[in-house]
Amino acid sequence: MTLEKKDIQGLMVRGHGNLKSARFLLYTCSDPTSSCDFLKEIVPLITNAEEKPEKEAIHIAFTYEGLSFLQLPAPLLNSFCREFKEGMTAEQRRAVLGDIGDNDPDNWDWGQDSIHFLLMVYAKDQEQLDKSMLRIKEQTDRCGIELIHTLPTGLLQHQKEHFGFRDDISRPVIRELLKETPPENLFTFPAGEFIMGYKNLYDEYAPAPYVPFELDTTGLLPVHPDYPERKDLGKNGSYLVFRQMHQNVHSFWKYMKEQTGEKGEAIKLASKMVGRWPDGSPLARCPMAPDPALSESNDFGYWDDDQAGLKCPLGAHIRRSNPRDHLVTETSKKDSSEMAAKHQLLRKGRPYGPPVTPELDPQNIMDSTEDEQERGLHFICMVTDIRRQFEFVQNNWVSFHKFGGLENDADPIIGNHYDTGQYKTNEFSVPHYPIRKKYSNLPNFTLIKGGAYFFFPGIKALQYIANHE
Amino acid sequence: MSTIHKGLTVTVTLHEDKLTDVNGQLFQFRNELKTNREQFEKALPGTFFISWLTLPPQVYEEQEQLPARIILMTSYVGDKNQHIEELVAFLEPKLKQVFGESDEFPITYSGKSEMIAFLHDKSVPNTFYSGFKFISTADVEREKDLKAAVWEYAQQMNTDLEASQLPPSKIKQKIEYYIANNPKLSWAVAGIPYAQKNKIQMLLPLVIFGLVMACSIVCILLSFFVDALFVKVMAWVFPLFLLFMGGMLVLLRQNEKKPHIPGKELSDEEVRKIVALETNPVINEMTVIAPLKKGWIRRAFLSVSLKLVGLLAYFTYIPTVHTARWLQLDKGKRLVFIANFDNLSEAYAHDFVDSERRTKNMAVIFSHAFGFPATRWLIHKQYNHRSEYMKGVRAHQKITQFWYSRNQYESVENLKRNRAFREGLFKEMDEEAIKKWLLTI
Ligand code: HEM
Repeated sequence: MTLEKKDIQGLMVRGHGNLKSARFLLYTCSDPTSSCDFLKEIVPLITNAEEKPEKEAIHIAFTYEGLSFLQLPAPLLNSFCREFKEGMTAEQRRAVLGDIGDNDPDNWDWGQDSIHFLLMVYAKDQEQLDKSMLRIKEQTDRCGIELIHTLPTGLLQHQKEHFGFRDDISRPVIRELLKETPPENLFTFPAGEFIMGYKNLYDEYAPAPYVPFELDTTGLLPVHPDYPERKDLGKNGSYLVFRQMHQNVHSFWKYMKEQTGEKGEAIKLASKMVGRWPDGSPLARCPMAPDPALSESNDFGYWDDDQAGLKCPLGAHIRRSNPRDHLVTETSKKDSSEMAAKHQLLRKGRPYGPPVTPELDPQNIMDSTEDEQERGLHFICMVTDIRRQFEFVQNNWVSFHKFGGLENDADPIIGNHYDTGQYKTNEFSVPHYPIRKKYSNLPNFTLIKGGAYFFFPGIKALQYIANHE
Repeated sequence: MSTIHKGLTVTVTLHEDKLTDVNGQLFQFRNELKTNREQFEKALPGTFFISWLTLPPQVYEEQEQLPARIILMTSYVGDKNQHIEELVAFLEPKLKQVFGESDEFPITYSGKSEMIAFLHDKSVPNTFYSGFKFISTADVEREKDLKAAVWEYAQQMNTDLEASQLPPSKIKQKIEYYIANNPKLSWAVAGIPYAQKNKIQMLLPLVIFGLVMACSIVCILLSFFVDALFVKVMAWVFPLFLLFMGGMLVLLRQNEKKPHIPGKELSDEEVRKIVALETNPVINEMTVIAPLKKGWIRRAFLSVSLKLVGLLAYFTYIPTVHTARWLQLDKGKRLVFIANFDNLSEAYAHDFVDSERRTKNMAVIFSHAFGFPATRWLIHKQYNHRSEYMKGVRAHQKITQFWYSRNQYESVENLKRNRAFREGLFKEMDEEAIKKWLLTI
């Protein structure tokens, strides 16, 4: 099935790496009619997947609260999945996501307030971004839409995140986007894992929001492939998961240094926690030292020669967030791979805040003096099934301290670390000869500052939302 | 004596209008557990899990009303009589209070010995699975402590240059010496009691079944040469078994061709009520009870399947599950499934449908239940298998009003790794095997 790229928002297929300046804007509306007027104005400006913007790109996504505020019909609203309807900060979602203690939404900067929609503005430079912002401000002001949070972003050198590790290397490849037949060793994903309206890995259409046939009076939306009495509002859309994660860079490297006493060893320990060396080369392929030739390497697994985690610990961030072909609880490589494939994320995040040092070389970061700067990652991912993909990864792999037969280990980098006396999640264990090493009392290196679940509609769905009666 | 895990299931019918009262009582017990857990642990030394719930009436074949029920399901280690006595000694007042609401409870109840007889009388067979076979309740704690103590002792070898250069066998010797000479740990020198006996006991039914079938095959060949009655009779056993299974499968296929009736989705509100009870950070529970799909063949096929699954219990493996069971109630018209598993049901349910092999295994049992997906030849998926399956699980998941888990802290993988460590102690191994074994610490 070919992708209807003209109807898909462009962020689904590209990260706009050439548009270095970006800002994420969170809005609340005051009047449904004038908000729809704004939408009518902005929809033609939304970048689609066919375009390769060089100056500016704009994307839009809605919270459930936002869609309700726009007074969309009740059956449509009800057809969204439970997680989206409840929202990221609902009690049950907090429990699933492990947003408790330090990460309790009550401590967040945003996410509990009435956010109706998110605009993502990407521009080639600051000047262009300022221009775009001015134009948008004029439009929103006119329609009584209030900007309640502005989230700046800033790409870092060498594709790094703030701890100093190369990021954005591993990405699921969408089969339908490939121009040629992929090589045999490349695992590709059907579009339906990330874009609604296409078949997913179960060979079915992912659950998606719909409109009863008779409510699509202009005949804008396609018929739902499984239910002829429904119009498919989800087609070419996705869910967008947003979590603003503060990174405590100094505490991160201080811990590594305290535990090892020496810079080289500190970098080794941090790399064990990430699963890649700072330059990106994976421990699974070069466990002893980084290899610059492998800094973009992504064709590796763990089943064949690292089941015990002697190269890349089972608890490392990349091994937990994508166990690839080895799950301790599975009895074969095939089963592990099939299971892991069902829980993949299309990551689209961007860092924010100033880097501790421009080059983000861990050697220098360790020498830098502590500051009070706010910096971190706007973690963003696209999925068609919030529960099966994002929440599963966050809950079962990242947060669950028993993942992979471990005992007290949440994800060392992004886990919520605590010790209640009865339950502990603040250890990191490294398989080692003669005896496993255990690092304890890990502080929280990241802190959630805000977050929400958004619906990231296709262009026709956007038109429907803007023009609905 | 044995350390084989078993499941006790006791069930009686209940008047529909008493459901609210009984639910209230069970929820009250659940609340009390927050303060009297220690008493449970002390008084029920052989009990791993207790699920105690009510089941509302359900409709079978779109017309027959299946009765409301009280179901008590326990997982225990050892002997059934002893387990029932243990339950009654501690829980008798509660058992009387709850089961007393049923018309099936003796009117002239005379005390504990009658309760024991009652539980025996109302217990029904089940196909039981344990993910941490042969580990007793006491072993859970002490194997954990043993391993933790050994790690504390051995971790200094990482920094001691001389010790870290030692070959694996020398490291193992040091650890064994430490255990043998530590009065708190020296119990581990003795090895694991009943280990061989347990295995044999558990495998015996399967071995007998296999022998009968093998004997029948031999008799088929012999029947060409020997004219003995025994040989003639035995020669029929295997072909008849095959014929029986083949015939069942053909009949099942006919049933599968009937139009699939999709079940209703559980409302968000109902799902919220269920998941709100999953508050344990490590282990949680799930009970799924569904009437079967139309047709006697479903009941018969499921019953045979459960027997065969029971035979294979020693070899069955369900990841992240501590214990599970399947059984049929009300003349086979209802399927009951209960699992005590690691983490949350939102994550656990994926284990069933995320690999092709697992999907097939699960279809053998669940495809017979109403609201679960249609299949072809029992194990082949039809369209929308996964979403129908997930819908089916939730739609028939019941609220377990009372749930007790003795172990609250160890995942099933933790239990298995602790056991693997103990099993390797004082055992002859080559250097490579020791290296692997050291990783269990
Ligand atoms: C501040 C927060 C975070 C930091 C610093 C961080 C850092 C990293 C780094 C350095 C990598 C390796 C680069 C790569 O393989 O592409 C990575 C990979 C990854 N991260 Fe994160 N991450 C963060 C948050 C998250 C969150 C919240 C999730 C999901 C719940 C997540 C899921 C992943 C996944 C799925 C991969 C790819 C793993 C693979 O395919 O091997 N990350 N992350």
